[in-house]
Amino acid sequence: MQDLLAWLESSMLGHAMRTSGVWTYGVVNLGHILGVSTLFGAVLVLDLRLLGLWRTVPLPSIAGPTVPVATTGFVIAALTGPALLATNATEYSDNPFLLIKFAALAVALANVAVVSSRPAWKTMGRREPTSADRQTLAIGGAISLAAWLTAVGAGRMIGYW
Amino acid sequence: MQIRRSVSMTLAAFVMAALPAAAHHGWGGQAQDEIQLNGTVEEVVSLAGPHATMKVRAQGQVWEITLAPPARTSAAGLNEKAIPVGAQVTIHGHRNSDPKRFEVKTERVTFNGKTFAVYPNR
Repeated sequence: MQDLLAWLESSMLGHAMRTSGVWTYGVVNLGHILGVSTLFGAVLVLDLRLLGLWRTVPLPSIAGPTVPVATTGFVIAALTGPALLATNATEYSDNPFLLIKFAALAVALANVAVVSSRPAWKTMGRREPTSADRQTLAIGGAISLAAWLTAVGAGRMIGYW
Repeated sequence: MQIRRSVSMTLAAFVMAALPAAAHHGWGGQAQDEIQLNGTVEEVVSLAGPHATMKVRAQGQVWEITLAPPARTSAAGLNEKAIPVGAQVTIHGHRNSDPKRFEVKTERVTFNGKTFAVYPNR
């Protein structure tokens, strides 16, 4: 962990973050927040639908816009996050929130892989969902919401340790 | 209606959960009393990251000097070249409320008769 952080800090990315002007960190931080809020807002709507809210709206009508918006937000967050970390990476070596965040991220991404491979998700819009389908998706939505909330919450708390 | 209410309640809960955190990031984690620390510069000012920093040796310890965000610190005239390693400086600020941490969130740094006020209104 310490070695990885030391490598990240001494990387070109870390060097660029430290030497490219007094506004760089703030602007990259803004990008990260926009990415995270875009991701989380879209995930929240989709997960609440999977958990059973807004049943009168067909799932594809909600999954259609929220999945690409969430993906875009994730990509922005994943590009800006390492730059923020690289600035003073070794300072975070004993930060428990960093570990909690990355563990939660791993769970959230694994959950995306699992849910999107289930027949309940794949047959969406092509056949009427069974109650078993609804249950599968609701479990996926609950895990997703818990994991992303933990990731976002722990991420925000990194700066307060 | 029911759903709309539950969603707005959820959002209100998120906002309220964020409030204590926002309050903490300012000066809340620091002691109330302002302290003055005399020492020598161990590491020059760095304008990288969320806050500019420097390191000062005083009272047999190396202190982490937390300054303002980089743009504000730089605007106060304090940058990498302003104070060399080994220089005598006086730090005015608030010590971290955790006594095991040698950290001062700083309002003013005085060097060679010149005062760099990164938080002049405090």
